[in-house]
Amino acid sequence: MSAVTFDGVSFAYPDADVALHDVELGITAGEVLVCAGSSGSGKSTLLRCVNGLVPHSSGGRFSGEVVAFGRSTRTHAPRELADVVGFVGQDPEGQFVVDHVERDIAFVLENLGMTESAMRRRVEEALDALGIAHLRDRAPATLSGGERQRAAIAGALAAAPSALVLDEPTSQLDPQGADDVFAALGRLNADLGTTVVLAEHRLERAAVLADRITILDGGRVSAPARPRSALADYSGAPSVTRLGRVLGWDPPPLTVREARAAATSHPLLGAPFEPSMPTRGEPLMQADRLDVSLGGQKVLRSVSMDIHRGDVIALLGRNGAGKTTLLRALASLQDIDGGTRSGDATVGYVPQDPGLLLFAPSVRREVAETLRLLKRVDDGAVDGWLQRLGLEQLADRHPRSLSGGERQRVAIASVAVGGAEVLLLDEPTRGMDAHSRTVLERMAHEHAAAGGAAVLATHDVELAARCATRAVVLGDGEVVAEGDARDVLAGSLYAPQVLRVLPPFLTVEEVESALARKEP
Amino acid sequence: MSDSSQTSPAITPTDRPWHALTWLLWALAGATAVQLAPNPLYVLVVIAIAWVVVEAHGLGGPFARAFPLLVGVAILFGVLRVILTAATAHGGNDVLFTTPSFTLPELLGGFTVGGDIQTEIVTYATAESLVIVGIVAVFAAFNAVASHYELVQAAPRAFHELGLVIVVALAFVPSIITAAHDVGEADRARTGGRRVGRGRLLRRLVPVLESGLERAVSLSESLDARGFGHRPPARRERLAGWCGAGALLALAAAFVALVARAGTTALVLGIIGAIAVAAATILVSGASTRTRYRRRRMTAADWTTVAAACVAPVALAVASLSGDETLQWPVDPLAFPSANVLPLVALLALLAPCARRSLPVAVHSPVTIRTRAAEAA
Repeated sequence: MSAVTFDGVSFAYPDADVALHDVELGITAGEVLVCAGSSGSGKSTLLRCVNGLVPHSSGGRFSGEVVAFGRSTRTHAPRELADVVGFVGQDPEGQFVVDHVERDIAFVLENLGMTESAMRRRVEEALDALGIAHLRDRAPATLSGGERQRAAIAGALAAAPSALVLDEPTSQLDPQGADDVFAALGRLNADLGTTVVLAEHRLERAAVLADRITILDGGRVSAPARPRSALADYSGAPSVTRLGRVLGWDPPPLTVREARAAATSHPLLGAPFEPSMPTRGEPLMQADRLDVSLGGQKVLRSVSMDIHRGDVIALLGRNGAGKTTLLRALASLQDIDGGTRSGDATVGYVPQDPGLLLFAPSVRREVAETLRLLKRVDDGAVDGWLQRLGLEQLADRHPRSLSGGERQRVAIASVAVGGAEVLLLDEPTRGMDAHSRTVLERMAHEHAAAGGAAVLATHDVELAARCATRAVVLGDGEVVAEGDARDVLAGSLYAPQVLRVLPPFLTVEEVESALARKEP
Repeated sequence: MSDSSQTSPAITPTDRPWHALTWLLWALAGATAVQLAPNPLYVLVVIAIAWVVVEAHGLGGPFARAFPLLVGVAILFGVLRVILTAATAHGGNDVLFTTPSFTLPELLGGFTVGGDIQTEIVTYATAESLVIVGIVAVFAAFNAVASHYELVQAAPRAFHELGLVIVVALAFVPSIITAAHDVGEADRARTGGRRVGRGRLLRRLVPVLESGLERAVSLSESLDARGFGHRPPARRERLAGWCGAGALLALAAAFVALVARAGTTALVLGIIGAIAVAAATILVSGASTRTRYRRRRMTAADWTTVAAACVAPVALAVASLSGDETLQWPVDPLAFPSANVLPLVALLALLAPCARRSLPVAVHSPVTIRTRAAEAA
């Protein structure tokens, strides 16, 4: 039975190009459908069509018809679909109506006019389904990222909708938080038969949960297929799938477990591998036993860090471990209680939310603005950084009209163009697609190779494996592990997928080069 | 985000000892007391009580700083008021000091600014400003201790949608202050710590406004997706609309009658207007299909607290009628204000809400779910 059908849907935002192009899609009741695709390919738009936010809230030109559980969004506004479609948008922070988790969850039930006893039961069920009963009396602003995301899902789930629609539910979460969210979604789907439709960039977890995957490209939707066949040729596939492709495994594996089973007898397993150890240049900056407290709470405890020329440092650690505070302390934006910062390197800091920085009417002017502020004119540098971050095509666009990953790149270019030797990037991969991540990795490499250094606070171990030379793991404000990226990542529970399948290799690229060397 | 946001233990609705309505009535009692006894000594007592109440019952979270912020603003305006009054009003005998003066042209009022600054005027203006600070302090305390959402839930259903929109808008204020701070910081970091003044306002304003707008859009979509909003107006609601319009007309006419000193007409029109307002409220409330989750009700203890707090204004009113002269502070002849025991004791009744304490909730350590998905990742 079809839960949601898209019948010849085309859509364009006001004053913009076509976002969806003649979409034909049937979402089966009770399935998990994952929408993949690069930034700006129309994933969010597609999801927002399901409950009629497009076009009711967005405006724009809409043709075709979306029918969700027998109700056409042409004739039904989103609020009239609230009982059948639960929607969780990209930014969980912006979705809480009430400053209290339990009452926020009850909000949809109040609007639907349920009786008090029914509401009590539903709210308890939603709290349990997401495993957040212990957070019921908290204010959403005080929760960690994963908790907040689960609370937002509970708010959509309380009405017991037949379908849940989630836009990148784990893009801001640490691995544990992402696992929690996906475990909760899996349980809802299995136990309650809730149809789940979600958009994701990082498919490591989503591919496991998915019944079918559809890939969007430029507003066109591919026919949904089983994960294995959908991801077989997709560039954003999880590392294990790409590894399987390189090694010619058929069918390609989706999980580490499957890949490991296939790899037991592989000649490369445990093969001697001498990775080219990057040499560290002279020291640029040192932080020695930094102590920072915020609002009476110790956030950093005696944290030391050395940054040398040529370093690309991945700063890992769960949400709330102190990564942002450390970067801010290194950038001298944060008062420190104890310890010292030394080194006279110039430092650039890119905040987590690129929206804090962007104000100019075009990407080029945004980047040039920094130089203007520094009283320098250097069109070469502007063009260089636009090119280095793959922004030439977007140079005349308005920064706010770009997708999350593109905006992040503009923010990085705007800061880096100032010529800072040490670049501190806070969660640069938030909402980034595979292409943006590749561009970012290349940029970090080039910057380090040119004698600079970059520090990336990230949850993305795959990214850390691909581009970091060193890794620092923070836990509750203390340095838990520090050293060569390979050594640190190898010992971690959240090691990159390839390392867990084919040690000692960290990335698919390393396996490829090892293969090439073996069979010249 | 959560990396930088600090988790402060917030007190939550279920452990709040008093209903938001109790707090509102408490604040009204306090404000009335200040009006009845504008003697600076009494006003200072009320401000101190408000501070004690905030210390005992402050909510934490985004409104934690409401009290110092609002009181600070009130003091700022008070000081401005004193300066303006002292510079423009003259008529005392005791000259404090003299400043250069000039007289405004006739077109702008023709009064003299500056000149002799007189002690009586300064003292009088200070006392007046203090009364305003006192009233603001009481309402600032209300904002810091009561849940606005709870108040909306307690209001008649007719006001619910409007009330909720106001509460949501209020919640935006602290987030905009945070955003403004973050934007300033990002702006400084962009140039490697160098401060550039030129064009800074634009660089700081645009991101704050645009981020705020994006958040507002996201919130409105969330409201919409969760079923909030008008249904097509029912017959009762249209009727209520007419009632409301009639009420407005009647009250406006009553005002005109009042100005024209037609007392009886004004009274009759006023009563008609009030009845129409009540009818509209009842009609709309009845038409609303919205229900309320775990609506908190006023308990006997709540009413007792309200009654206890009301002792203050009632006792002051009695004292005023029985001719207690310490309630007002005669500036002329200038003397240190005096106080009587009875009004002081009566004011202490405003401490009634402190009979119970708010216990801060311990921040729970997140209980994580072990999952099978971990193995896949």
